[in-house]
Amino acid sequence: MHFWGMADAAAILADRLSKVFRVKVRAPGLRGAVQALVRPRYRAVRAVDDVSFRVAPGEIVAFLGPNGAGKTTTLKMLTGLLFPTSGRAAVAGYMPWTGGSAFKRRIALVLGNRQQLVWDLPAEETFRLNRVIYDVPEADYRARLDELVELLDLGGVVDKPVRQLSLGERMKCELAAALLHQPSILFLDEPTLGLDVTAQEAIRHFLRAYRDRHGATILLTSHYMQDVTALASRVLIISHGRLLYDGALDALVARVARTKRLELVLGDGVTREALAAFGSVLDFQFPNAVLEVPREAAAATSARMLAALAVVDLSITDPPIEEVIQRVFALGAAPPAAGEAP
Amino acid sequence: MTALALWARRYGALIRNAWLIDLQYRAAIVLWVLWGVVEPAIALGIWWAIAGAGPVGGYSRADFARYFFALTLVNQLTLAWDSWYLDRWIREGELNFRLARPLHPMHEAIADNLAYKGRTGGTILVLWLLVAALWPTVRLAFDAERWALVGLAVALAAAMRFLISFTTGLLAFWTTRATAIMELHAGVSLFLAGRVAPLALLPPVVAGAAAFLWFPYMLAFPVDLLTGAVQSGGALARGFAGQIVWLLLWLLACRVAWRRGIRRYGAVGG
Repeated sequence: MHFWGMADAAAILADRLSKVFRVKVRAPGLRGAVQALVRPRYRAVRAVDDVSFRVAPGEIVAFLGPNGAGKTTTLKMLTGLLFPTSGRAAVAGYMPWTGGSAFKRRIALVLGNRQQLVWDLPAEETFRLNRVIYDVPEADYRARLDELVELLDLGGVVDKPVRQLSLGERMKCELAAALLHQPSILFLDEPTLGLDVTAQEAIRHFLRAYRDRHGATILLTSHYMQDVTALASRVLIISHGRLLYDGALDALVARVARTKRLELVLGDGVTREALAAFGSVLDFQFPNAVLEVPREAAAATSARMLAALAVVDLSITDPPIEEVIQRVFALGAAPPAAGEAP
Repeated sequence: MTALALWARRYGALIRNAWLIDLQYRAAIVLWVLWGVVEPAIALGIWWAIAGAGPVGGYSRADFARYFFALTLVNQLTLAWDSWYLDRWIREGELNFRLARPLHPMHEAIADNLAYKGRTGGTILVLWLLVAALWPTVRLAFDAERWALVGLAVALAAAMRFLISFTTGLLAFWTTRATAIMELHAGVSLFLAGRVAPLALLPPVVAGAAAFLWFPYMLAFPVDLLTGAVQSGGALARGFAGQIVWLLLWLLACRVAWRRGIRRYGAVGG
């Protein structure tokens, strides 16, 4: 069923989405087990709470949050696997849970921890099955498979039984299986989970290339910050089901990070104590040192230090993005706007 | 391409994949065939011994032999394991990617079911023909009209048993014990569907109660039709009417369970 017409240009639209699960609660021990059997008690868990955002066609957006934050639940609502408790969503112009086959042909869902490849057969058998299920013409199938094999470097992999593949090869094949029908919107849940650095980079490279070639929209969740910094132009930060931040990563750093880091290469005779007069010393392994200073004082402090101490080299950086994100979670609410004291 | 051709290709591809997986486990095929043969063989052995002193409830040794051979074949052709698959799909999150595809997961279950029957049922049919060639007692008279009716009754029973299994599997949306419920159903069907004895041998009260349930129509009726125990037009009409009514009721139950279950699905795995 089409939803809100095609006038809306957003590829993905979530409007006050909420999902409440009913969870059975049980006191520990035998008595608790008997009580739960005789008179079960339930607790409502708000997995996603009033989440709204929109993603434009061709955009790559990363969903960040700790385990259980509501990322995957949101993804599952947007792909029609879960019915929301309240709120609306439109993906490719369809309401996901009533969109039917037409909607499902427009999307791909890849779950890093749940595979669709048949374990005992070569990946190519799953590809062939998907070709028939999605009704992809043979010529298109050949061309797309060739393209995916090239982009994902899958030569000599697709005809081996899946159980003999490495984790990285399996994930690449999962991606190929999910993209043979050439969906315009990709939902990827932890696509690089458990992969080594080389395989992670290969997946990132592929996703960028796929987006550039086909103009696809990608919404992904990941625990790896490299995925986010390398791929996403925008991040959605979610914690305890609530959306804490929606915007560019740089802007988040500028808003949330109260400090800057001065990475130094020191000249002879500069001691830790001398350095401590200018800020807090995070690391000191002569001649290298890292100093943390208030964000607004970074330039002035650098100038004073250069005048007072023997400094060979100095660069001013933001704190690691992981720390920034951690701080957003710790704040537990929308980060203050630029200019406000955090 | 017409819709029919598309569905034929989809089912062809799903059955092909199911067979490709089966071929990886040749030993399992032999075990499944043995499993399908052992239970009726034991039941036949017991009744064969009991009927040594004379017919039991009108069943001679030869009648028991025909009954249990027919039962072995009909049971294989109507068997459904889907509740076990579905229970795993739901509890372990394997339903997720199936829901994201433009194909209702039930079609994969039906195709798996057909693939299974083609494989094991086909093997049992060959075994049955071999035994019938060597042991005239178990041979059945060939009557085209009766065999056509048997074909229809087996198809209806297979559809019903599939729906019972699929619907029970859907209970995994609510409980982690869906397969236990299916085990219970299998236990009851030992007696009420005619798996351990022809229904004619059950105490009249039990047989009377069974007639109001679906059990006789999922196995005993097509078996009795095959052996010739169902003769009168009335019994034939009652049998088919029972099959159709229960098939429709299970279809309704399946639709209700799917619609409600999918709304409360927790989509395990993340």
